[in-house]
Amino acid sequence: MRPMSGQSEEALVECSQAGDRAAFEELVRRHADRLYAVVVRFVADGEEAQDVTQEAFLRAWRSIGRFRGQSQFFTWLYRIGINEAKRRAGRRPPAELIASLDDDAVPEAPDWSQAPQLRLEQSDLRDVLERAIRDLPMRYRATVILRDVEGLSTSEASEVMELSEAAFKSRLHRARLAVRRSLDEYFLEEKQ
Amino acid sequence: MISRTLQSLRFLREHRWTTAHLSEYIDRELEEPQSERVAEHVRLCPECHRMLATLRRTVSGLRALRDHPPGAPGVADGVLGRIREEG
Repeated sequence: MRPMSGQSEEALVECSQAGDRAAFEELVRRHADRLYAVVVRFVADGEEAQDVTQEAFLRAWRSIGRFRGQSQFFTWLYRIGINEAKRRAGRRPPAELIASLDDDAVPEAPDWSQAPQLRLEQSDLRDVLERAIRDLPMRYRATVILRDVEGLSTSEASEVMELSEAAFKSRLHRARLAVRRSLDEYFLEEKQ
Repeated sequence: MISRTLQSLRFLREHRWTTAHLSEYIDRELEEPQSERVAEHVRLCPECHRMLATLRRTVSGLRALRDHPPGAPGVADGVLGRIREEG
């Protein structure tokens, strides 16, 4: 018999559905770090992110029989993880940010597009971006994490969020504009 | 006079439409005519030009975060432990 690590994802899912725990454990090894990286950007606390990741996999294991294979395993898993993170992640939406995200008006943009310091090697800039993501209301946060940071396609990310592609794109755009505004502030401070 | 008013109304309409579609433009998810519509307005509008340039840099910054995943040791082991406990 081939070792689990050599099995395709589809085969592992099928075996898991038949109750093979070793197959599901291989799925855990393949996806745990990636799911954690998504979840920790939601809950902003390493310990809680570990709990959410564990809970998401437990729920997936309990309900793997209901996974129909119409989507990829990881999109199904992301959905479980994000729903669990949402459930736990407090109710502290920054009201003023929601108002500005829901407002169609686009403020005048300062131009820092040529700023030489826009390099991600700079840890303070990474911090600004991570903080900007965390400051987004939950329903907007998922869009940039899934589409931009994780690199899912629009179709995959909208499926995870159970949104139409049009609704997903609209939220993604508003979220990106909000992150861009945080960079405005960063570059204005740098200039002063 | 009327023609100038119509021109500026048309510009405002294009401005509003463009600002709403910049992300799709960056992601190359617009059909060709729509993409040309954005490009045309961005050529004429300094504000949209700046917005597009900075939004592009924002998106590339977000994408680059992928190379710096916030890892934690033993995530998979923790999950496997919970699953084994569950039996």
